[in-house]
Amino acid sequence: MNCFMKTVGTLCLTLGIAATPAAAWEPEKPIEIVVGFSAGGGTDVMARTLATAAQDSFPVPLVIVNRAGASGVSAAEYVARQPADGYTLLVTGGSESTSVPKHREVGYDISEDFQGILRAVRMRIVLLVREDSDIASVEDLVAQAKEAPGEIVYASSGAGSLYHSTMLAFGDEAGIDLAHVPFKGGAETMVALLGGHVDVALASPDEAQRQIEAGKVRALAVTSDDRFPGLPDVPTLQEVGYDVYLDNMKGLSAPAGLPEDIYQYLNSRFAEAVKSDEFIDLAEKSGLEISYLDGPAFDAQIAKMSKAIGKALD
Amino acid sequence: MTFFFMALGEVLQASNLLILAASVVVGLVTGAIPGLTVNMAVALAVPLTLSMSPVASIMMLLGLYCSGVYGGSVSAILLNAPGTPASAATSLDGYPLAKQGRAGLALKVAILASVIGGLFSVLLLILVAPGLAEIALRFGPVELAGLLLFSLALVALVSGADPMKAMFATGLGVLMSSVGSDPMLGTPRFIFGINDFYDGIPFIPLLIGLFAVSEMLFAAEYWFRNRDKPLDFSKQRRTNRLDWAEARRIFLPVLSGSVIGSFVGMLPGLGASVSSFLSYSVAQKTSRHSDEFGKGAIEGVASAEAANNAVTGSAMIPLLALAIPGDSVTAILLGALMIQGVAPGPMIFSTAPDMVYTIYLALLLANLFIAVLALVAIRPLTLVLRIPQVYLYPVILVMCVAGSYVLRSSGWDVATMFAGGILGYMLRRMSVPLAPLLIAFILAAPFEEAMRQGLTMSRGNPGVFFSNPISLGFVLVTVAMVAGSAFMNKGKAV
Repeated sequence: MNCFMKTVGTLCLTLGIAATPAAAWEPEKPIEIVVGFSAGGGTDVMARTLATAAQDSFPVPLVIVNRAGASGVSAAEYVARQPADGYTLLVTGGSESTSVPKHREVGYDISEDFQGILRAVRMRIVLLVREDSDIASVEDLVAQAKEAPGEIVYASSGAGSLYHSTMLAFGDEAGIDLAHVPFKGGAETMVALLGGHVDVALASPDEAQRQIEAGKVRALAVTSDDRFPGLPDVPTLQEVGYDVYLDNMKGLSAPAGLPEDIYQYLNSRFAEAVKSDEFIDLAEKSGLEISYLDGPAFDAQIAKMSKAIGKALD
Repeated sequence: MTFFFMALGEVLQASNLLILAASVVVGLVTGAIPGLTVNMAVALAVPLTLSMSPVASIMMLLGLYCSGVYGGSVSAILLNAPGTPASAATSLDGYPLAKQGRAGLALKVAILASVIGGLFSVLLLILVAPGLAEIALRFGPVELAGLLLFSLALVALVSGADPMKAMFATGLGVLMSSVGSDPMLGTPRFIFGINDFYDGIPFIPLLIGLFAVSEMLFAAEYWFRNRDKPLDFSKQRRTNRLDWAEARRIFLPVLSGSVIGSFVGMLPGLGASVSSFLSYSVAQKTSRHSDEFGKGAIEGVASAEAANNAVTGSAMIPLLALAIPGDSVTAILLGALMIQGVAPGPMIFSTAPDMVYTIYLALLLANLFIAVLALVAIRPLTLVLRIPQVYLYPVILVMCVAGSYVLRSSGWDVATMFAGGILGYMLRRMSVPLAPLLIAFILAAPFEEAMRQGLTMSRGNPGVFFSNPISLGFVLVTVAMVAGSAFMNKGKAV
């Protein structure tokens, strides 16, 4: 019996070693996916679903760690200090990547300290007014703002947030000046708009969709480079003549300097997860738009949007 | 009506009732452990609901939500360690009651008030949700600034023993709340180059420190001076009985707490801690026993608990009617409901009435389950007080440290907890009341934010607070209240 076990064991080992290419990297301890926002929020749900969908193809657990604080900056500062060994990943692509570093000093440089693994989803940004507003189009908005500089009030989900920067970029491009009122998040922004306390608001499609369907708010434009399939009649800012292209993106990045085989390992497995039925199903229900990009392409998008925001703030 | 019976049939299925009962138990335990918050319990339950039916997942999430908010009061009363921020106001009077050997009474009052508050707000939700949602929308920054000004003034007037000490505590609370990023511009304030301060002083670790850790320091001091002596645990059942005299005393505080909690709950951005402290202040201001507050007044426990549980039902009002979550827990609920294919919003009453009824029934049942379970648990729970403190406190301290750490995986938060403990110990040593500090800490930040948002909207014209009818109303009431209080105290001046 003992002899038999030994033989089987040796056989398995030999086969196992033979089947594994010499250079391939395999994780040996749990991989941390750091989320810069609290549990239950949109970013957190995206990360948890992605991790669940990808778990089967990893030999080690994927652990979600919430390090909420300062619009995701605390988490980014933490991950930037970790070794580039593939065991610590950060959910990137939103305010902490493209917007906040342009508003104030942070303890990392998004393009130098991080490298992308993949982009999983994008969330469009929609420019909204109330149904009874006399602003009917982007042209109206620009015309009225030029007539009375600083009189039109818009709501964003926080000072230095991506939404704040988006409006600054649009104002810079259109040569208009609007008054900014920051709120604590999407919910309060929508209340301010619905209650008539501000004239314009920025929101994500999943926050705005129900109100649009109920006929309470109207979408003026989306800020992406093509129309949002869920709102096919709403033009992009580029279509109406303003060169603004900003998206809220969600993907994974690692501390810069990751060896190529580790990048390949992580990228291929997470890319597979993004295509899984489980992820597609959840994305559909939570209003996320799956939009895969590989690591270098994701980095290029982050760099492009950071640059656009930096230009608007100068 | 057919939809109602459809929902009732689903909700009353044995499996769904079992899920509700289990989640109420889990919620109670999570709520009672300091640092483990309702938000966390609900957020962690969301992945579990992915494989469940919509009805079962609604019952699980709402069971966790309601019982978690109640559960915080158990540890607030027994250990002076509020399990959730919303139950901090409960420990102000609940723990002194426990020290007098009346923990059983305090727990009973907390259950009664919680359940009445919870049911009151659910009934409001059922009867007038869409109408109330419209009122909630009227509350923009200008109106909120008025409401919060009124609340802050109320706190200032509700000073306990020494007005100077209360004022000092209020000032310290306001100062501490101004640490962090400027709400309008995002520029750092009072952070002394420490980035961990950017989000301000974290509330939950501070709270655990001020209450639980300072209590342990007191116990340690007492132990060094004398000998270890467990709290007086009264064996007399009479002092712990809730009879008519007590019921009459808490009637008004419970009612006002239910109304205040329901109102604050449906305004986005304020939440259960604001409502419980506001209700506590109102109860103290209007009570004939106001001098007993802070020393073990059952009205204090009743008003705070009614208010924080009334939030659970009314936070669902904007969620269902407008798809706008009233607080961070309902924000998580919104996501979870959408994953289940239930889309809250103005259309839900016509597109998915069965789901609306399911939510109503789940909330009602959750409150009833809490009442039953909590009543059964009172006797075993009070036994905790018989454990000698040398064994009990180390265990609680470990839980406090873990609870502070786990929220943001941050060692800084643990340091904040210990700093809060030392601060709380020193303040209590100087008999500076903690209540004004906490209330000011909670109210000052939203007040500043609302006021500055309002000023931006009016292009810097402060007249907006006086031309807006709702805000003007609050300002007038505040002025009348301050003037009245000054007039009444004139004779008493030393």
